[in-house]
Amino acid sequence: MSVVPGAGPARRGWLTDLRRIMVFTGKRLIALVLTVLVGVYLTILIANMGGQVDDLRLIQIRSNVSEQVRADPTFFDLPSEERQDIIERRVQMEVERRSLDQPFFVRSIDYLQGAMLLDLGRAEEMHSDRGARDVYWIIVERLPATLLLFGTANLLVFFVSVWAALWLSRRYGSGTDRAVIALAPSSAAPGWFYGIFLILFFAFVIPVLPAGGMVDIPPPESSWEYGLSVMRHMILPVVAMFLSSIFISIYSWRTFFLIHSSEDYVEMARAKGLPSALIERRYILRPTLSPIITSFALMLIGLWSGAIILEQVFNWPGLGTLLFQAIGHRDTPVIIGSVVIFAYLLALTVFLLDILYAILDPRVRVGIEGDNR
Amino acid sequence: MRKLLLLLVVGVFILILASVLFSRPSSEDTPDAGSADADADLGERRGALVDEVVFTQESDAGKVAGLIEAGSHHVFAQGVTNTTAYHRLRDSQQATYEEAYGTSSELTLNPAGPELANGELNPFAVKAIREAMNWLVNRRHIAEELYGGLAVPRALPVNTAFPDYARLADTARALELEYGHNPDRARRVIREEMEALGGTLENGRWIYNDRPVRLIALIRSEDARKRVGDYVANLLEDEGFRVERQYRTAEEASRIWIGSDPAGGRWHVYTGSWISTVINRDVSDNFSFYYTPRGRPDPLWQAYDPDPELDEIADRLQRRDYATSEERQEMMARGMELAMKDSARIWLVDQTNILPHAANVELAADLAGGVAGSRLWPYTLRFRDRVGGRIVFAAPSLLTEPWNPVAGSNWLFDTMITRALSDDAVLPDPFTGLYWPQRIQEAEVTVQAGVPVEQTHDWLSVVRSESIQVPEDAWIDWDGEAGRFITVGEKHEDGVTARTRTRVRYEDGYLERRWHDGSTMSVADVVLPWILTFARADEESSLFDPSHVPLLEVFQRHFRGWRITSTDPLTIEIYSDQIYPDAETIVAQRVPSAQPWHTLALGILAERGGELAFSSDKADRLEVDWMSLVAGPSLNVLKRALELGRENDFVPYADVLGEYLGEDEARERYTALADWYAQRNHFWVGDGPFYLHAVYPVERTVVLRRYEDFPDPADKWLRFTRPRIPEVNLDGPMMVHMGDEASFRLDITFEGEPYPEDAIDEVQYLLFDGDGQLHRKGKAALAANGQWRIDLDSDELAALGTGANSLEVAVTSRDVALPAFVSHAFGTVPAGTATLEQEL
Repeated sequence: MSVVPGAGPARRGWLTDLRRIMVFTGKRLIALVLTVLVGVYLTILIANMGGQVDDLRLIQIRSNVSEQVRADPTFFDLPSEERQDIIERRVQMEVERRSLDQPFFVRSIDYLQGAMLLDLGRAEEMHSDRGARDVYWIIVERLPATLLLFGTANLLVFFVSVWAALWLSRRYGSGTDRAVIALAPSSAAPGWFYGIFLILFFAFVIPVLPAGGMVDIPPPESSWEYGLSVMRHMILPVVAMFLSSIFISIYSWRTFFLIHSSEDYVEMARAKGLPSALIERRYILRPTLSPIITSFALMLIGLWSGAIILEQVFNWPGLGTLLFQAIGHRDTPVIIGSVVIFAYLLALTVFLLDILYAILDPRVRVGIEGDNR
Repeated sequence: MRKLLLLLVVGVFILILASVLFSRPSSEDTPDAGSADADADLGERRGALVDEVVFTQESDAGKVAGLIEAGSHHVFAQGVTNTTAYHRLRDSQQATYEEAYGTSSELTLNPAGPELANGELNPFAVKAIREAMNWLVNRRHIAEELYGGLAVPRALPVNTAFPDYARLADTARALELEYGHNPDRARRVIREEMEALGGTLENGRWIYNDRPVRLIALIRSEDARKRVGDYVANLLEDEGFRVERQYRTAEEASRIWIGSDPAGGRWHVYTGSWISTVINRDVSDNFSFYYTPRGRPDPLWQAYDPDPELDEIADRLQRRDYATSEERQEMMARGMELAMKDSARIWLVDQTNILPHAANVELAADLAGGVAGSRLWPYTLRFRDRVGGRIVFAAPSLLTEPWNPVAGSNWLFDTMITRALSDDAVLPDPFTGLYWPQRIQEAEVTVQAGVPVEQTHDWLSVVRSESIQVPEDAWIDWDGEAGRFITVGEKHEDGVTARTRTRVRYEDGYLERRWHDGSTMSVADVVLPWILTFARADEESSLFDPSHVPLLEVFQRHFRGWRITSTDPLTIEIYSDQIYPDAETIVAQRVPSAQPWHTLALGILAERGGELAFSSDKADRLEVDWMSLVAGPSLNVLKRALELGRENDFVPYADVLGEYLGEDEARERYTALADWYAQRNHFWVGDGPFYLHAVYPVERTVVLRRYEDFPDPADKWLRFTRPRIPEVNLDGPMMVHMGDEASFRLDITFEGEPYPEDAIDEVQYLLFDGDGQLHRKGKAALAANGQWRIDLDSDELAALGTGANSLEVAVTSRDVALPAFVSHAFGTVPAGTATLEQEL
């Protein structure tokens, strides 16, 4: 997408480039929107099991209403017929409230339309922690907790692993290198697995850290104490995630850097006696920046989904738990809301990466006919 | 690299150290420890026995014992049914537990058929085969092995912890023995009935229409019912059926057993479970619910075809169509016999829910509903070794739905908290379900002659009257347009009568108490909730809520009027046609409690403005937020309403309420509420032993603090912290000669002390012969303090014949609904036979 040398005047060349960029951008945007559209509609279908969930929800509504009426002393000595009538009326109200009286296809199109316009709508069963019914608030309230925990852990893992991998790539075959390779399979266990042992050890055997939650009980009233309390509660989950990812991450980045370290131009730089820091920065990192940035960007948007089991283990009020609850409640708008934001974020990231590639790597260009090659 | 790693490790260590050191509570007003001088403080103290209660969310039962031992949590509101967690708790020095019995497990049998739509045979269409299932299953094995001891056997459609079971203890015991484990009898009946259906037993397998008889066991997979399902499936396979096991979660299973037509044959037996969160003092509608099509409109219930006698008894019991309690008992007893013959359900066990708490903590837990269902926990919660301090509760969910006092969250763990913030006029006994007065001085229940109502406590009186005329000036309806109550005289020119009149006199100074925000109560706090009851069902009202209409319609079916006869002391009369068997329950259902009118006024303004709605249903219809007085976007709306109310001294329904307001009351109320909001950042104002100090929605934490101006002494309800379940020991001869008399000694104690005579309701005995036939039932005689005696004369013993016999004793207490049973086996031998006692 930078300028392709052409034969015509500079202005004409600039316009041609602009046209190519616009065509390229338009095609990418259309493709991405279509991808989001298909992804979201598939989510709607899956979340509702093609409409079969309606039957399930009707049964649940009927059961809940029946039990509520039975438990309510107000209806204590009501004749059965009138009791059944009350049940039916209340069921009907719940059905109307959830729009279950409309065909699933109609509702699915409504869901899709709202989702594509980023109108997340209202939840059917759930509330935000503060009591709002809007899906937007339900998600936004959980976002800071997820970003804080997973952002810290993932950024830590990312930068430590890239830095350590670069360092190890210069010490191929050393004791540390072999140790990292040996430890790489430890990442087969997920973070929550380490979390259970960390909780057992640091919360119960040597009780120096909390077993779960985001903040002390009750939360400190001073902001400083609150912040410190949150940090303290983050230690175990961050360590759990760090332990579960760090070795495999170092190992994969180390292998990646090793391949690039053996390129001819790197060998040439070494032969010329350039300092190793310069070689790393200019001859290894620069050409590999695109995949690093891609990995970084995908890691960032990966934060969105949180981690269901880890959040459950640490009782962390994040988006993973929220999605888990939404699936449990079969609250379609919340499920769709979570997915549609992720889909848009992913599409946006992919789109931005396309542009970033061209900026970072001079070899990436928009082709003469506007194709990306 | 090494230096950096070292730095990283050191950094993490410093971080941990810093956060551990700095996270110690430093605020001076956080009451963590309390005073160790418990006895000195208890006498003087008012209200709650602890200074602060913190609720937090924790759903992992596996952590329970560890968290209690670590001292971070003290009480778990959720019952534990996991045997591993139970054993861990049992072995812990720092933790102990209460027990609750509100959950029951059963086998739901498919009654359709005998030939189903798919041509297959459904043996459970035959009542005799269903009845035989009672003999096939070993309930003791299920309770002790499959539930790991966290259950007690149950055979009857009445929960073993509920008063009706105690009332019917003799019949219940006889039926339990009749339907005890007897696999040979079960096999005999099943074979006879299967052959009558056209089945043939070939190589140990039942064949019908040249195909093996297939049974689908729908087994719940989330809990111990998975083991129960497997156990029952194994038993049925042993009887020659081909059993297909389908393991399903609650949702998956509901589509099949509730959602599908039983005649479709998608299931034959389902491992069901039912929960009661309160002690139900009248379970007479169980027969209608569990055995007749009147139970629910779902296809399974519509397939029930009860015996006409059972159907009639169930219907009459549900309608409370009986004249005396004796008649009711007879119907209940007969109903139980017929229900066992029908056996649409095979009751298996009443589960024991373990409610863990720290060993140094005490509180009243409800015998059915546990801690979450207990109304007395706020009044009894305390450290055994000190007064004051902070107690941390854990619950699996908190703040599940928005809190408002009109139609807010009714989730169990939310209401558990809000109950501590208000002070009801009467409170239920956690062990019997009977109500005790809290804010009322006395009550008089007048019932129409012939209406079976019983009185147990002496804080109220019951009067019989041939006719109860409702006074003309009593309020019976609401005129929304005019904004006033409609009197009986206006609505019923010829007058109206009622089946009951409940006259309640509140305690002196009831209206001189203060709300948590410091404002003084008034009659308006009692009247406004009544107005809302009517106004919310008035289509012309801006508060109209369609979801409230059915509730009001039902209410109006039996409501016959109410009036305030005195404001000092506050005395109210309520007229109604609705009857409950216990007079205490009638008072509890009728007596109005106060709600602060000024917080309701904010809600009214917000709903009238179309910004919030009291109920979920209306909120969704208007696409606005469901009102929360404690958190979220509602607070800003309510804050604006408060400003508006303050500016205009707004009084809702001023034509009515104005009569009961003091001078400048509106201004004082709003000023107090504004100060309250400024300090607490919420609008929840109550009058309970605790006030709502802080709400942290995202952190899922709620903090309550002791209300120091609470009027009652702190130890007022402490007698309800331990269920006084009688401990019974029966001793007597092992062998008795024919022609001799025999005497049996019964010791009834509680924690080693004799059980008080006046607390004993009944000590009944049942005498069974070796064939399990009931020969005699009677009552034990009091011999001494805590000692009772059963004397059997020679004729009674002779009637048993020679052989092994059983003396069963049921002890029922007035203090606790759970009866105690004990049995003694003895032999009757011919005269002259050497007995064991003689040989010894």
